[in-house]
Formats: sequence, structure tokens, C-alpha cells
Amino acid sequence: MENLKILLVDDEEEFVTTLAERLELRGLQARAALNGEDALHMIEVDIPEVVILDVLMPGLGGLEVLRRIKAQHPKIPVILLTGRGSEKEGIKGMELGAFDYLMKPLNIEDLLKKMQEAIEVQP
Amino acid sequence: MNTCEDKEVAFFGKITAGITHELKNVLAIIRESSGLMGDIISISPEAIVKYQEKIQNSLVKIKDQIDRGVELTDRLNKFAHSTDEILSKIDLQETIEQLIALAQRFARLKHVVLKTVPPSQEGPPVTLVTRHIQLQMVLFASLECCFNAMSAGGEINIGIRKLESKNAVYVGCKGDLPGQAEFVRNITESENWPVLKEIAACLEGSAHLDEIEQGIVLRFPNEISR
Repeated sequence: MENLKILLVDDEEEFVTTLAERLELRGLQARAALNGEDALHMIEVDIPEVVILDVLMPGLGGLEVLRRIKAQHPKIPVILLTGRGSEKEGIKGMELGAFDYLMKPLNIEDLLKKMQEAIEVQP
Repeated sequence: MNTCEDKEVAFFGKITAGITHELKNVLAIIRESSGLMGDIISISPEAIVKYQEKIQNSLVKIKDQIDRGVELTDRLNKFAHSTDEILSKIDLQETIEQLIALAQRFARLKHVVLKTVPPSQEGPPVTLVTRHIQLQMVLFASLECCFNAMSAGGEINIGIRKLESKNAVYVGCKGDLPGQAEFVRNITESENWPVLKEIAACLEGSAHLDEIEQGIVLRFPNEISR
């Protein structure tokens, strides 16, 4: 997964920037967006290989962002982040084309494993 | 039997889900910050020096998030004790501040800023003998009505006002609002408006629209009987 381009989307700035730093220490190229609008813009400028997307965000919600990503870039795997108790949103996201969903707080090893699976199954 | 009691459980659920979601974010930041420090330490002793700033930043983040978590837990705990007594003597300003703190996440998701207005006059706190949980319900319902009428970037100011020599709670919606007629329509046709009126009635009070200043006026008796 060295140099894999990842876009992290979450309105909790300290969470998303710290997670990006941890992924960079592992040799991945991680960028962070704090809302759905910025994420969609960043995807148009530089297409990531995986998107990690929080479901519950102000403005454009995660599921709407997912819908728009899938409409423009159906091959980009999207992994959703959701809270325990909000599994329904994760399942709904998978119906909309998300690769899978993970619960917050995250375990980084689970995230890395899920990203590996996502890029392996992509055509 | 108060007809609003069946709505209390749903309200409890909504507020608790909101605050615990915030707490999960707090824990997620603590986990990533401590994880980052662990990552650096496991690289090599030299990495600790090289990434000293990242380690210091992580420590600050952890401290800030613990403070945030303590504040949220205190608010949630206080909220959970709202039903300890059916009727109790309540400081109205303190309840407004408590509700605003509990509702911050809901406002953030709507891109709306919530602010309390401090009392305009020095003096003893305004107190009511009422149902604490239902007082919070009516305040929250008024915020939800404002959310329906406002666009992103707006501000809601909530505080105590003297109206016709009686104390009332004034919920002012500010920002890029529609015209007067549309504002009234957005609020009165929303599903939250009849709920707000009903809960206010359960507290033997009332909820009215201020069409000119674009806000909601909540009036309560000093003491309710049920």
C-alpha cells in the first residue's frame, strides 16, 4: 500500500489530521477534507485511490457525498465511518456502493486491513 | 396524567444519542493522538527527537479532549438527573445554558450557531417550579422550529426577557432569513410547531411567534400544579 493516495473526510479536524499523520508515517499519501463540499472538490483535482468518509457531517452528509462520488467515479472504493448504534447508516451506504463501513473510534489496523481489501477487489 | 410524558423518552434518546456521539469523537481523537505517539516511539529513539513537536501536539490534543469529555459527561449527567423529581424549583437561565450546551451538536449539523443571552438586569435568578425535563423539551423544540426556518450560517439567541412585566424566554432566529411571511410559514407548517405548542401547554404555558423580530416567545407560570 506504499504511496496509496487516500482522502479522509470528517468534520472533526483533530481526528482527521491526526489519522492522516499516522497513515503518512506508514508511507501512505493521506489528505484530509473537513466537509463534503471540499472533499468533492479535492477528488476532482486529484483522484484518490481510497476515500474514508464520515457519515454524519454538517452540510452535505456522508451518504450524499458517497452518492456523488459514485456517480462521477464509480471505481473509487469508499469506506464509511459511523458510530456504534448507527450501523443502519453504514448498511445504507453499502447499498449505495460503499465498500464497507467501520465504527468510530477506529482501530488503525482494521482501517489498513479494510483499505487493503478494498484496493485488492477493485477492477 | 401529563400528555407530554410519552414524548420524554424520545427526547431523552435524542439528546443522549447526540452527546454520546460527541463522546465517541472525543475518544477517537484521544485514540489517534495516543496512537500517533506510540507510532513515533516504536520507530526509533531518534524518531522521538525528530518528531518531538508531533508528540507535544498530541499531548495537548489529549488534554483538550479530556476537558471536552469531562464537560460533556457533566452535562449528560445533569441531564439524566432531570427526572429525579416530578416538580422542582429550577433556575431558568441555568436551564437555558444547559440546553444550549446539549444542543450544540444539533446546531453544528445545521451550520447554525447557538448563543445564550445573559440576563439584562442584575438581581435574583428567575426560578420556576415546573417539570425540568419538559422545560428542556420545550426549549429544544423551539430550537428545532428555528432550525426549520433558517439557512446555514444563522444564529439563534436564547435568553430571558421581561415582556409585559412578566418573564419570558425569547428565542431569536438571526441570519439570512426569509421574508416575514415565509418565516411564519416555515415555522408554523413544520412538524415541530404543534409539538412545541403541546409541550408548552403541558407546562401550563404558551409558545407564540414574534413575526416582526422573527423569534419565538415562550411564557410559563411561576409554578405549575401538575
